[in-house]
Amino acid sequence: MEIKKTAMDGTLESSDIQITVSKGTDGVQIDLTSDVQERFGEQIKQTIEKVVKDFDVDNVNVKAVDQGALDCVIKARTITALQRALGTSAEPAWEVL
Amino acid sequence: MDAEIREMNLQNPDEFEQWRSFLAGLGIANFTADEVDPLDGTIGLFEGDRLMATGSYSENILKYIGVCHKTSENGVYFNKIVSTLLTILGQQGIFHIFVFTKPQYSASFQHVGFQEIVHSESAAFLETGPTSINDYLAGIPKVEGASSAIVMNANPFTLGHRYLVEEAARHSRHVYVFVVSTDKSLFNSQERLEMVKDGTADLENVDVVSGSDYLVSYATFPAYFLKSDTSRVRYQTTIDALIFKERIAPTLSITTRYLGTEPQSETTNVYNEVLESVLPPTVQVEIIPRKETDGKIISARDVRLAIKDDRLADLTGLVPPTTATFITEHKAELQARIRKGMKIDGN
Repeated sequence: MEIKKTAMDGTLESSDIQITVSKGTDGVQIDLTSDVQERFGEQIKQTIEKVVKDFDVDNVNVKAVDQGALDCVIKARTITALQRALGTSAEPAWEVL
Repeated sequence: MDAEIREMNLQNPDEFEQWRSFLAGLGIANFTADEVDPLDGTIGLFEGDRLMATGSYSENILKYIGVCHKTSENGVYFNKIVSTLLTILGQQGIFHIFVFTKPQYSASFQHVGFQEIVHSESAAFLETGPTSINDYLAGIPKVEGASSAIVMNANPFTLGHRYLVEEAARHSRHVYVFVVSTDKSLFNSQERLEMVKDGTADLENVDVVSGSDYLVSYATFPAYFLKSDTSRVRYQTTIDALIFKERIAPTLSITTRYLGTEPQSETTNVYNEVLESVLPPTVQVEIIPRKETDGKIISARDVRLAIKDDRLADLTGLVPPTTATFITEHKAELQARIRKGMKIDGN
C-alpha cells in the first residue's frame, strides 16, 4: 500500500504517543523521541514497524513523539495515523487489529 | 482542578486583555499589530476562568506560547498546548511547523519532538514534522568544489539582480542563487523563482533554488518575545545569518556569499552589517555596489511602480527581456493585485 498524504494521530500528553506518517522512499524509517528511549526505544520501534508491515506499507516515514505510552496505545495511534494516511479510515482494518 | 482548552477570540477586548496581561506576566512585552494581526488562531487552557497557558499560530509558525510557571502542572500544560496546536494545524494539512522562542525554552520544544535548527543569544528556531532542513538540503543539486551564494527576493528580477549574479558567476566556480519563498510580495514565490531561472539560464555555472522555509524573508520572523522593537531587525537577521552559516553553507560547500548594496534601505544596510559580522571566517562576504543606469540605481521598487502606473515602456532599462516578457503577459493580474492592496513600496 502507498501512503497518500501525511497524517497524524495522538497527543503530546503523558502516557500518549504522537505519530505522524508521511510518504517515504527508503523503506520504513522511524524517527523516535522518547524519555524512555534507552530502555524501550527498540521495543517502541518494533511495535510501530509491526503495524506498518501488517498494513503492507513498504515506504513510509514515521515520526513518533512518545510520552511513555503503553504498547496498546502505540499500536492504536499507529493504526489510526496509517489509516488516515492511506485514506482508509472508514474501513476498520480487522486483519490488523 | 480540571483544565479545559478553549479557543480565544482576541478581537474581544476583554479576552485580549486577559491574554495580554497573562503573557506580560511571563515577560512577553510585544503586542504590536505587526505581531498580533497575522495570528490565525489562539487557544487558552483555563482552570475555571483563570488562564493558565496559551498558544497561537500564524500559518505554520507557533507564536505566543506561554505557560503559568507557578503551577506544578507547568510541563503538562505546555505539552497540552503544543499538542492541541499541532492537531489543529494537522487538521488543516499543515504538518511542518516552526517555532521561534527564547533559547531557554528550546529544550522544552525538543522534548516534544521539535529539532533545533539554530539558536542565537536571544532566540532559538526549531521545526517539527515529516520533513526537516536536512531533507531540504538533500534535495539541492551538489557540485564538486567550493560554491558562492546569493540570496534574493527578486520582486521582480531586475538588471540589478542580473548584474550581481553575473559578477558572482565571473569570480566563482559555481553559484547558488537562493530565491526567498515567503509569499508577501507582488510577485509570488513561484513567479519569482521562474523569473530568476529564466533570467540566468545562459549562465552555465549558476543553479537557482528555492529558499524554502529556511531562507526566509527576514521581515516575517516573529519578534514578539523581544523586549524592544529596536533590536528586532538585528535579531531576525542574526537568525537568518546563522541558518546560512551553520546549516546551509557547510552542506553545500559555500565559501562566499555575495551581497548587493542598497543605498536606499536602512533595513538592508543592517542586514548586510549583520551578515558581515556573523558569516566570516566560515563564509566570506563580498559586497557588490549596485548597478546604475543613467546615474540612477536599478531598483525593483521602480519596476513595481511602473507596473502600477502602467508605464511598461520604462521597463527596458530596468529588467532583462525575460522579466519584461513575464510582466507584459501578466500585466492585468499584477495590476489587480496592486489594486487589491498588495504593498509595493517596500524593498
